[in-house]
Amino acid sequence: MLSFARRHGAGYLFIVPFFALFLVFQLFPILWTFYISTQEWSGLGEPESVGLKNFRLLLTDPQFWDATANTLIYWVCGLVFILPLAMGISLLLNKRDLHGLRTFKTLTFLPYVCATVAIGLIFNIMFDTQQGLVNEVLGLVGLDQVGWLTTTTWSKVPVIVLNVWRHTPWFALILLGGLLNIPRDYYEAAKVDGAGAARTFWHITLPSLRPVLMFCMIMITVESWNIFAEPFIMRGPGTSNVSLFQYMYESSFRLFKYGYGAAIGVALTLILALVSIIQLFLMRKDADA
Amino acid sequence: MNISRRTLLGSSLLLGASAGLSACGGSKPSPDSPSTPDGGVFPPGKMIMYGYGQPQWLLEYYNPWLERHQDIAKGVTIDMVQNEGEAQARQKLIQAMSAQDYASAADVIQTSRVSLLDMAKNDILVDFTDYLSGIEDKLVPGALSDSAYDGKLYGLPDSVRPQLLFYNQDILDTYGIDAESLSTMDGYLEAGRKLKTDSKGAVQLSQIDPTTLAWRYWGRRGLLPQAGAQIWGDDGSVVFGDSEGTRKALGYLGTLQSEGHLFVTKMFQAPLYDAIKAGKIATFYIGAFFDEFLRGNVADMAGKWRAQPAPVFEDVGTAGAPVIGLFCAVKKPEGQYSALWQQLWNDFQFDAEARQTWTTKMVEENAPYANPIALDLLKDPFWKEPSDFYGGQSFRETEALGLQNSSANLRVTKDDAEADALISPELEKFIAGDQSIDDAIKNAHEALKSRISTTDPK
Amino acid sequence: MKRPSGTISARAGRWICYTLMLIITVYSILPAAWMMLIALHPKSSSMTGAAVLDMSNLTLSNFPEVNRLIPVWTNIGNSLFTTAIGTVTTLFFCSLAGFAFAKIRFPGREFLFYALVGTMLVPPEVAVIPLFMIMTDLSLTNSLWSLIIPKMATAVGIFYMRQYIKAVPDEVIEAARVDGCGPFRTYWQIVLPMIKPGLAVWTTLTVIARWNDFFWPLVFLRSQEKYTLMQAISLLPVGEGLSTPWPIIMAGTAIAIVPPVIGYVIFQRFQKADMTAGAVKG
Repeated sequence: MLSFARRHGAGYLFIVPFFALFLVFQLFPILWTFYISTQEWSGLGEPESVGLKNFRLLLTDPQFWDATANTLIYWVCGLVFILPLAMGISLLLNKRDLHGLRTFKTLTFLPYVCATVAIGLIFNIMFDTQQGLVNEVLGLVGLDQVGWLTTTTWSKVPVIVLNVWRHTPWFALILLGGLLNIPRDYYEAAKVDGAGAARTFWHITLPSLRPVLMFCMIMITVESWNIFAEPFIMRGPGTSNVSLFQYMYESSFRLFKYGYGAAIGVALTLILALVSIIQLFLMRKDADA
Repeated sequence: MNISRRTLLGSSLLLGASAGLSACGGSKPSPDSPSTPDGGVFPPGKMIMYGYGQPQWLLEYYNPWLERHQDIAKGVTIDMVQNEGEAQARQKLIQAMSAQDYASAADVIQTSRVSLLDMAKNDILVDFTDYLSGIEDKLVPGALSDSAYDGKLYGLPDSVRPQLLFYNQDILDTYGIDAESLSTMDGYLEAGRKLKTDSKGAVQLSQIDPTTLAWRYWGRRGLLPQAGAQIWGDDGSVVFGDSEGTRKALGYLGTLQSEGHLFVTKMFQAPLYDAIKAGKIATFYIGAFFDEFLRGNVADMAGKWRAQPAPVFEDVGTAGAPVIGLFCAVKKPEGQYSALWQQLWNDFQFDAEARQTWTTKMVEENAPYANPIALDLLKDPFWKEPSDFYGGQSFRETEALGLQNSSANLRVTKDDAEADALISPELEKFIAGDQSIDDAIKNAHEALKSRISTTDPK
Repeated sequence: MKRPSGTISARAGRWICYTLMLIITVYSILPAAWMMLIALHPKSSSMTGAAVLDMSNLTLSNFPEVNRLIPVWTNIGNSLFTTAIGTVTTLFFCSLAGFAFAKIRFPGREFLFYALVGTMLVPPEVAVIPLFMIMTDLSLTNSLWSLIIPKMATAVGIFYMRQYIKAVPDEVIEAARVDGCGPFRTYWQIVLPMIKPGLAVWTTLTVIARWNDFFWPLVFLRSQEKYTLMQAISLLPVGEGLSTPWPIIMAGTAIAIVPPVIGYVIFQRFQKADMTAGAVKG
């Protein structure tokens, strides 16, 4: 026993802070949230136990389904736009024979440095229907005004743009790290075989980046399902761009239906767990590499 | 709920050790009604206020008041905690009270009718019935109409501000519209049509927010009370869509919007102010609070704007419903400042000289202020002084005038925050062009029935 | 760079690259630059569309006004404190745990690692209400420590550090052990210096995340003198009844984003090694 502690004690000791913090500040509160989701409670006084009523209400709540659909769209758009863009930027940054790469690297990282809250405010101004910069530019090329934040058709676009704009640099940085780790001789060998740039990318770069890409996909998934500040600041008509997390927040803290908010939180947790377990399953063999 | 929380805490592996930390609470509750401490002197300390809007300007009254009252409040300071809005202030108080964190809980909270109902129901507010019923006839009529719960009075009204019509005199002159004609809803609509035709669509009658504020400013606080609409019947059932007033109010809004008289842009955002400056919006049908927004954001338009009481539906005859700003004292264990707060509030409302000094200062700093709610104070010519921004018209006098013919507010129940969250999206979908106004009314009515069905009407 | 690329297609490729770089750069800096520009305009000027490009009378007068509405310096101090302490503690605990997962063998390591990855899926934001009560029980509400302590060791950080430390050759660790180094000394004296680039990346990401944190301060901090800068700024425009002129709001947001931008640029310049070299190893 003592020798076990001496041999392995350090390993456990080093990881215990994380698990302790996780238990106290994450697991326990989440279990408590599961409990609240079976109550009706305005935050004051005694909560009233209502069983699964909140979940039954959830299933017939069109606003909940709107929010779920919107978040799903944010997630898919995150994957579809952030990954290729980040990939493109990191490929450029990896081309060591270009001039001004350092400046380019600094400048393209700036979106991630800027706070979403701050940029959301300026996006509201830039995406204004009547006088925003975006519509003025569209007008220059002869296009009609688009009701970015005044119609239900378009109101998700500014949210997606802001989300993609701000998160791309983070992923570009991570992908660049992955690119730098691909041994040079792989490329040399490809050159000798006479492979073009496209073929090299498909057959060498992408497969080598597989674990990093998986990591990025998980991160995009977690962040997309938690999206909050962007639609919160750039609210569109009705529930047209409300996110699930935002709906939970507003049910709890605007309407003071804590039980209902917690039920949305539980639904969100379950969705996220399901999506991520599938992803984890896909990346299982890469994690140990 | 604290028992089960603590039990769970205890069973959680790591927090077992911290059980000692959670052994707080159990202190004696403060009295129901405010009581002055022995000898009338308050102990030094921090009086915490949760405010929203721009509460820091109130401190310019409160702090000098504390200076002047060193005899009873030596060492008392006010900690004004600014919040994003009414809901956030309430959320903070709920968190602090349910976690028994009285050190950070507010002594005084700025709030709304809906929140007051919930807080009073859960017995965390100080009862001011005796004091308030004694001064009721000194206040403008209806000043206490948001203060009551279950026969007792909890809220100290800070301001009572009417619905007004702000208009750009230059635009009216250009298109030959007489401001007098805007005193009825029919005349208002006619003016919109004339503006649209004569300006070839360049100038619109008014503005509407594409999101939640459309319902708040045009609906709940504006057209619905003016048309005598109701969301709830006397028995607490949903009458929203069945009410003739609702159809009249929202039908009118529907006409304004579908004929293209409303400029759709977000409230309080930079593009709105640019549109105002560019002369694209002729009028605003909104609460008196909009005064400070005009002064603050389109200061260079001084002299161009005027205000008058909101237009009326001729068959109803009353103008908009007033918005009451409310403050409540929190009944927290060992809370010691509710009586001090009552004195401070009393002087803010009744000390004519101090109130004028503060108001003058607010005007100089281009800061927000409202008319006093004490009838005696309002008699002073100071409250009829002309305003430069309104081209010599007295805004304060107009505000007082607006109150005289005001409609009663909609009945507010504990479920009204949720009702707003159900009605507003349907109205927003109408403004976005996704459905007709009739469908918006029908869908909102259905949503209210299926999600709330009946409420507690008191 | 030294020898001009020979073929026409290679030269064309370079020009495509430069064009792309230009487009991406403009896209990256436009919103923030636009904001700065509005912040420099007088209160009454136009703030929408191309009118902002009129730079005839720029002014710095909006910045002192921000300070009149909120205690900017106190808020900046709070943000600096939270960011600095938060970053240092996170770096330490994440790299320590990452080292354990990468290089120390102990029973159950793989399982615990999967458990750790699994925790990334549970968003702590979902559990705001109970979290607040726990913070109160620990006497942490309205304390900057409430922002620091829960995030001292994060799953993402540990995951990242583990991937990074894995690249440190096993022989180096083994040699240290033979020399009599205990696990902590090995970590502190051998591993830490070898993973400086990885630490640099994580420092950058953590500093930015901490400085920009909006949600948690909103929940845990409750008085003006405890607010972080981001929280204080967010109160400038959004209230029901606020009428702060937009150039002042933009000045506020500019104050919030300038320090990390400057910090990042300086950090980049003084960085000797390419800081992404060897980041996330697959």
